[in-house]
Amino acid sequence: MNKVLMKGNEALAEGAILAGCWGFFGYPITPSSEIAEYMARKLPKIGGIFVQAESELAAINMVYGGASTGERVMTASSGPGLSLKQEGISFIAEAELPCLIVNVSRGGPGLGGIQPSQGDYFQATRGGGHGDYHTMVLAPASTQEMMDFAILGYDLADRYRIPVIIMAEGTLGNLMEPVIVRDEVTSFTEKPWAISGCQGRKPNIINTLHMTADVLEERNRHLFNKYKEIEMNEKRAETFMVEDADIVVVAFGLLARVIKRSVIDARKNGVKAGLIRPITLWPFPDEHIKAVTETCKVLLSMEISMGQMIQDIRLAAEGRVPVEFYGRIGFLPNPEELTRGIIDVAERKGL
Amino acid sequence: MGSLAIFAGGFGSGKSEVAINFAIDRASTSQKVVLADLDLVNPFFASRDAREKLISKNIRLLAPSGELAFGDVPNLPTEIIALMKQDNDMLIDLAGDEVGSLVIGYLSKLVKERGNYQFYLVINPYRPFAGELESIKELKQLLEKVGLIKFTGIISNPNMVEETNLELVLRGHQRVVEFAAGLALPVKYLTVEESIYNCLPYEYRNIAKKITLYLRPSWLQGSGGGM
Repeated sequence: MNKVLMKGNEALAEGAILAGCWGFFGYPITPSSEIAEYMARKLPKIGGIFVQAESELAAINMVYGGASTGERVMTASSGPGLSLKQEGISFIAEAELPCLIVNVSRGGPGLGGIQPSQGDYFQATRGGGHGDYHTMVLAPASTQEMMDFAILGYDLADRYRIPVIIMAEGTLGNLMEPVIVRDEVTSFTEKPWAISGCQGRKPNIINTLHMTADVLEERNRHLFNKYKEIEMNEKRAETFMVEDADIVVVAFGLLARVIKRSVIDARKNGVKAGLIRPITLWPFPDEHIKAVTETCKVLLSMEISMGQMIQDIRLAAEGRVPVEFYGRIGFLPNPEELTRGIIDVAERKGL
Repeated sequence: MGSLAIFAGGFGSGKSEVAINFAIDRASTSQKVVLADLDLVNPFFASRDAREKLISKNIRLLAPSGELAFGDVPNLPTEIIALMKQDNDMLIDLAGDEVGSLVIGYLSKLVKERGNYQFYLVINPYRPFAGELESIKELKQLLEKVGLIKFTGIISNPNMVEETNLELVLRGHQRVVEFAAGLALPVKYLTVEESIYNCLPYEYRNIAKKITLYLRPSWLQGSGGGM
């Protein structure tokens, strides 16, 4: 077993390479830059392509072009860069081009700051760009998962022909942990749609312009049938001590890992707490939430934002139990503060 | 002039933790310790995060402060020039790779004027790009090229943070010793946490240095990497 001490960003980059990533197109931005740096160092040595594009717009359109050829390609950025890339992501979603898009998140809005954040939840899960579409969104909680989700992300992207976003707080991108380096991926999904030279077959055309209403509607229906299939098959969440919990915290990413400690500490203080960690932010694991509303008395959304995922939790809870919120901006709260937050809600609710 | 120790190396080699520990050690015998955090590249897990600890040990911390403490602009604290010319015991924590060591190139004239300095290459062989002599050699040459001073020794810092054990330390250190031979540099220290230090074989005692990790979030202990 080969273990290396890696930053989250490095683990993600190595994971992408192990999954056969051939092209990285990006524009550096803190706190995601180590991904580009790692790729710049490694990709050219193994026959891949690294391009530091002139802008984020150029980078995402290079991803569009690269993915059209059927190769595994990616880009990585942070909030402001992701905003610039939204037009391209909308095009990629409609063209059904599999690719990996990484958001190592920092605080917004505007230039904001480079502190860790989860404030791009809406942007990632609601499409982000124009038109009716979704991207799949994975939220890792450890350096190991940064690697593993890069590998998983490419697999999902290829299988469903969908752009996959990996969203991690800036702290996770920069956190060093021992990582088990996975085996190289050797089996890949066929891509008969790819523009790969049309010897012996009719040319493939990748295009997102649909001039007639019926074709446009048919395209949208096609995409949403695919999204329905993804919703049926791919919702993922991890649950922790929810069976007898009165208060179930819902949190994602590295924050969820800190809360694991708080859940244990809250129980030591007589509050029966549990945790649901959505791993896929889209599709949102609403069944996991719905299931605990049968037994718990309150849900508590904890986020490094002013409250975005809480909307999905409320939709999933369908009013069966109240949904409370605790949020901070600009840093990862420590377990003591989060334990206090859980106990406060429990006390207010008379638990 | 007092002592001057400069810590350079690859990204994530453990420079900041090592520098903080060396500063705290130095402060037990000196009243004039200055720790200059000149990591201008990435503010996550920088030695300025240990500000309170350092201040409690009467160590002067020179670092981007106020609203720039968590910035990623190249903000070199201006007092560094004056402090380099004063009588103090200074430790300089640089950012990783060649971009980090550019700063010492800028200060190299002052370093040479001051004399009596140690320029340490911190190596953790369990980091990416630090596992074979070829890339370490390349790194050393780059750092010396931009830093405009030559390394005086290596600090061997083999660890896997929470998963570190004695076997892993000894195996990693052996690799660093081999790198050192290839680089023609002496290994000056082997840095280990207390639990490892206490069970190190006797022959390592002359170079072993006990360190405490000040920048590691305590909740990582047992939080389960895979959750």
